[in-house]
Amino acid sequence: METWVRILLLTVALSVLPGCATVRHLFHWHHGAKAAQPADGTTAGSDAEQTPPRVIEPQVERRTIKVPRIKSSNVELGLFYGALSIEDFGTNPDYGVTAAYHITEDFFFQGEAGRSRGGRTSFETLSGNIQLLTNNERRFTYYDLSLGYNFLPGEAFVGRGFAMTSAFYLLGGFGATDFAGDTKFTVNFGAGYRLVPRDWLAVHFTVQDHVFQSSLLGTTKLTNNLEARLGTTVFF
Amino acid sequence: MLRRTQRAALAAAMLLALLLVPAVSAAREYLQLFVTEPYLELHTGPGRGYPVFHSVPRDESVTVLFRRTDWFKVRTERGVEGWAAQREMLKTVLADGSPFKFELGDQAGFSSHRYELGIFAGEYGGANLISAYWSMSFNPQLALELSAGQFLGRFSNGEMGDVGLTHVISPESRWSPFLMLGTGVVHTEPKATLVTPSNRTEQTAYAGGGIRYYLTRRFFLRAEYKAHYIFTKRNQNEEADEWKLGFAFFF
Repeated sequence: METWVRILLLTVALSVLPGCATVRHLFHWHHGAKAAQPADGTTAGSDAEQTPPRVIEPQVERRTIKVPRIKSSNVELGLFYGALSIEDFGTNPDYGVTAAYHITEDFFFQGEAGRSRGGRTSFETLSGNIQLLTNNERRFTYYDLSLGYNFLPGEAFVGRGFAMTSAFYLLGGFGATDFAGDTKFTVNFGAGYRLVPRDWLAVHFTVQDHVFQSSLLGTTKLTNNLEARLGTTVFF
Repeated sequence: MLRRTQRAALAAAMLLALLLVPAVSAAREYLQLFVTEPYLELHTGPGRGYPVFHSVPRDESVTVLFRRTDWFKVRTERGVEGWAAQREMLKTVLADGSPFKFELGDQAGFSSHRYELGIFAGEYGGANLISAYWSMSFNPQLALELSAGQFLGRFSNGEMGDVGLTHVISPESRWSPFLMLGTGVVHTEPKATLVTPSNRTEQTAYAGGGIRYYLTRRFFLRAEYKAHYIFTKRNQNEEADEWKLGFAFFF
């Protein structure tokens, strides 16, 4: 078995090495772009050899224009605060951070991490002193990676003089939830409304469901954990 | 309890303040472009559906403030600010008359780009796997790749991180296969019901391959397989297979 892995590693090494050999310059493009200009110059020079030499050299100084880099503003970072209903464990406040990258005007990619706390189940409340989970196990931590789609872009107006762009968006993705002493694969989906009052600032209202399998209360079942939250983000 | 929430709120406020600082400080040099078509249309927002509210006539200039996805926020000589589409901006020129060129985010970009970012779902040694990767290309064929993942299984959970090289075989075609070679670490937490429930962190080496398929704009699909070789401290080294399918974009 080990020899099989060695053979595989060696085969891949052999296939990758020709790729390394193509790296003449580490950052190929810049050099490529620079190399392209002298190439043009030499062809112009060979043309010049064929045409007779100029009698008057033009005394025009070429203006070189510095092209400032255009700032890209596709990254959105922010914080949120809301309520999370943990199935069987009541509704509790939750908070967290989000990071998004806008790929096109329609799609964005979002990562988020949040934290909440599970309350007491009705079983624990009715039976008096029984505790299903320790204090640490009640901590509900989740993260997910989602794809968002700006479903209904639009504009919102405040009075006559102020308009801001807005979008109703759909979100779907997957991640993990750490709750009751175990980490579970979690699927999340939901929708949100984004208002952009300034080019760099946005306000979000988001509703999401986090679904994972739990066998905490005897039988294995899919639990739905609904979350509603308000967030603010800044564009970079 | 209350003090803890107060602390969290304070930390959040400080983080927000930190976030706001770069947004507020904005003294920088902007690019000036000249309109060569009969006019340049300005929209009220960065999207195809936002109405045109202003047009800049030929030979007038606009200042490019920033770019968001395929839209440019510009300011006219008269101080009107609006959004211009990428395809319209292609028809503008710099002050010396040369055309304004920029990265478009099309299939040419798929063949040759600097960065990639993507997410995957899959399987690692029989456990569910969630992972994400980031890569930086040295040239259209060779890239340095970092990936991180979390696996959640019936017998153990854990995290893994890899760094390696990816060699794309035919970057110019829509279906482009690639090969990977690298090293990483894996942290495994066996579930408490097992006999030896000790957490362990081990070094790994991997070889693998996959295929990417260009969808549209900046998107592509990516499916890959990695054969991991785990160097354990026990008598025998281990092997683990990783299969995953994901979605990625380049920028």
